[in-house]
Amino acid sequence: MSTREADRISAAEETLNTLFDISQLLNTGLDKETLATCVGLIEAGVNPEALAAVIQELRRESAAARSARSTTNGR
Amino acid sequence: MSAAALELESLVYSLVPWARQDESLKRQLVAHCEEILSSHIGHSVEKDIGHLADLIKRHILQTSPTGSSTLRFTNLLSRLLEQPVLNRKHASLQFLHSLASTPAPTPLATSFLPSLAPPPPTRPSSRLTSKASSPVDGRPPPRGPKGKSKAEILREYRLQMGQPHIPEHLILRDTLYLLQGISGKYVQFSVTKDAEQNKELIFAEDPRYYIPAPTRALIHRLAEVGYLYQRVDSFVREREGKVGVGMIEQSLCHHLQTQLTEYYRLIAVLESQMSIVSQTKVEANGVDEERGREEETGLTLKRLDVWIEDWRLRMRMMSVCVEGARDAHGGALVNLIHGYAENGDPFIRKFTNQLLEEVSKPFFATLHKWLFSGELYDPFSEFFVAVDPELAHLQYMQPSVQGVGQLASDGGFGGGDFGDISEERAGGLQLWEQKYRFQEDMLPAFVGETFGRKIFSTGKSLNFIRYSCHDSDWVATREKLSNTGGTLKYSDIVGLERSIDTAYQIASQRLFDVFFDKYRLLDHLSALKHYLLLGYGDFTEQLMDTLGPSLSRPANALYRHNLTATLESALRSSNAQNDSPDVLRRLDARMLEYSHGEIGWDVFTLEYKVDAPIDTVLDPAAMVKYLKLFNHLWRVKRIESTLNTSWMRIAGGAKTFLRIPELDYDWHQIRLVMAEMIHFVRQLQAYCHLEVMECAWQDLLTFVQKKEGDLDALIENHRKYLDRMVKKVLLLSPKAGREENLLNQVRDVFILVLQFREATDDLYNYCLSESARRDAEKDAARGVYTRTEQGTDRRYTQESLPGILDRVKDYGASFSERVQAIVLSLASHPDLDCRFLGIRLSFSDYYKMKKEQQQQQRA
Repeated sequence: MSTREADRISAAEETLNTLFDISQLLNTGLDKETLATCVGLIEAGVNPEALAAVIQELRRESAAARSARSTTNGR
Repeated sequence: MSAAALELESLVYSLVPWARQDESLKRQLVAHCEEILSSHIGHSVEKDIGHLADLIKRHILQTSPTGSSTLRFTNLLSRLLEQPVLNRKHASLQFLHSLASTPAPTPLATSFLPSLAPPPPTRPSSRLTSKASSPVDGRPPPRGPKGKSKAEILREYRLQMGQPHIPEHLILRDTLYLLQGISGKYVQFSVTKDAEQNKELIFAEDPRYYIPAPTRALIHRLAEVGYLYQRVDSFVREREGKVGVGMIEQSLCHHLQTQLTEYYRLIAVLESQMSIVSQTKVEANGVDEERGREEETGLTLKRLDVWIEDWRLRMRMMSVCVEGARDAHGGALVNLIHGYAENGDPFIRKFTNQLLEEVSKPFFATLHKWLFSGELYDPFSEFFVAVDPELAHLQYMQPSVQGVGQLASDGGFGGGDFGDISEERAGGLQLWEQKYRFQEDMLPAFVGETFGRKIFSTGKSLNFIRYSCHDSDWVATREKLSNTGGTLKYSDIVGLERSIDTAYQIASQRLFDVFFDKYRLLDHLSALKHYLLLGYGDFTEQLMDTLGPSLSRPANALYRHNLTATLESALRSSNAQNDSPDVLRRLDARMLEYSHGEIGWDVFTLEYKVDAPIDTVLDPAAMVKYLKLFNHLWRVKRIESTLNTSWMRIAGGAKTFLRIPELDYDWHQIRLVMAEMIHFVRQLQAYCHLEVMECAWQDLLTFVQKKEGDLDALIENHRKYLDRMVKKVLLLSPKAGREENLLNQVRDVFILVLQFREATDDLYNYCLSESARRDAEKDAARGVYTRTEQGTDRRYTQESLPGILDRVKDYGASFSERVQAIVLSLASHPDLDCRFLGIRLSFSDYYKMKKEQQQQQRA
């Protein structure tokens, strides 16, 4: 039982690694942790394209927040 | 949902780290994310992972042109697919791809959240919000405001140079002119006409405008249609004015004209489209600004190209047909077009079929007339049946009238009408065989060779029934024929074949009936067999007996009236008198052309006269063969009767009252030789009559009873029957130059027999006078004086005896030798029946043994 569990975990690890490699190749800019979260979401049935849009949004938001912060900081 | 919300939260934390401090921001973001997730983004998801992989690869290639990363991706993908863990690998991939294909977020200065920057317009198949414009899928992402394209730079440069690109609406108008084969303002067809009338496009050098190369290429493409149109149009016009254009060509022109009308309609529609455009253009201020709108509504060169695409193919087809029509004609033209029907492209196939349907209409009209009424209505000689102009006017006289007339003019069988008759006869078969010709190159391929032959034969039969046989039932037959088939069409080939078959059968049947019932062909054939081939034994015997003495005289001492009178009496005194008078009146005796020194036997012949339309089957050539056969059989018969009389003498007479003991042995020898001769002739006769003629006759009869095939088949069968007899009776061998070798040997044998008979007659006479002398001597010894006179017959004296005996022996020996040679060569004859004759002749291996004996003696 435990070996099967271990197998499962290692397989998941492997899959995640592969996906991460692809992600790197495609230059998506996701780190492993985020990727894992996203894959989890997708497996849960979330629409992948919508998820991509979400990522975009969050990034933009983050950038905007950062710039806003930097400008306020600079002031 | 709570788990998903949790995950979303962690996502927000990891991407927007400040959200950890700012609870409200976090909440806002999560809510926004959920909103996005529940929206309708990306419902047009492709389920095909292969396609997705392709898209990704293309993307990778775009970003890094080296192939190594693509290769790596392929490896990774295959590894991913092997993993059992994920259920929605495809979705994950799509997620990655979507993420990757959006450009990195440009640092836009949008500080506030709800007023998010307008969505990146070029995300493929992703619509962020409904109000966003829907860009066409697959359009390459613009490079952003990087600068102008090179084309634009060029355009501006030219504008600066004072030679701007030509506005599209101007060139468009010209192109529409070109499509109608008319030169435009800026683009013209060259007027120079070289040999092939090839035209070139000339772009007028207008100093104000410059026509860029891509536009030129496009116009070239479009102008092809115009050029083809010109060709087709000129062809149609040319044919319109001409006289003597074939009907098939006329209908081709008609069809082309309809097609061209369609084309005009299209052009008109296009023109109206263009005028709308130019109107809008007048209203619009600048050309460039309005480009986008124009692209959506109006006509452009490219759009024109698409519109015209269909017609380009059609024009090409038509132009090809036109090209072919220049040297093909009639059926050949149909054939040519049919050649294009075998095309894999359904469009071309459909077009060709349509064309063919139209074009073949006159063909089928002609076919209908030919097939059902036997008349060739083909004023432009386009049909695959052609009439021989020399024979076209030739038609038979009413045969019954002709027959009566012939009988009347033949009254008393007056000589001198041979020439006329044979000339008239030449018409029969000639008319049948040559009046109509079958032209293979004109036969449409969709009909097929066999059916073409059938059609040809059917029409010919009908024509023959109509004009040569003057069949009164004709109208009825035609009615019947016309009802069997509906209209003939190209699209209904099966129906066509069926109606051809029925028409063929009915016509052939009719022709057979006419020949055998009305004209009693079979009676004539059997009459020929009975008289010319000596089928009536009693008649032949009678004729031989009565005619024999006079035939021994020189040919120039024979008179035709004597011969005919003898023939008449032979007819009357034999069973032949029971034959119908129609047959008997045709029988005639005459002499062949003779030269000096020939006797009656050589030149006498029987003749059977036939008239139209029987002479179609019994043509002059066939009659010559009959005469040839008669000649040979008559000789055999003569030899037979000669031997018969001789045998009676030597068998009866020599035994009873020729009492010359020293010649008994010679007589015995003579009887032996004569028995051999009789055997030879009997076998020959039996072979001719039983093995050859009866068998051939049987075959012919079976054919006639079957009533299959047409007149051609009948002629063919009769010819076969006759040829078979000629070949076997005359023992012809197929070796060139030596056909008559055997026949000549047999004839030599006949001469030998006659000479032998003469010699035996001499011996007989000698013996007769000798025994009479001896009787007289005996009587004198007894004291009775019986000798009436002495020495009147000096021919048969004691001195002439050795000479006579020598001759007898000589002839006997050489006869045997010749027969042996004949048997030998018959044994190697290629024909089985002839070989069998050899076996019959030497049934007990008599000649073989004889040969061996001779060889032994020689050795």
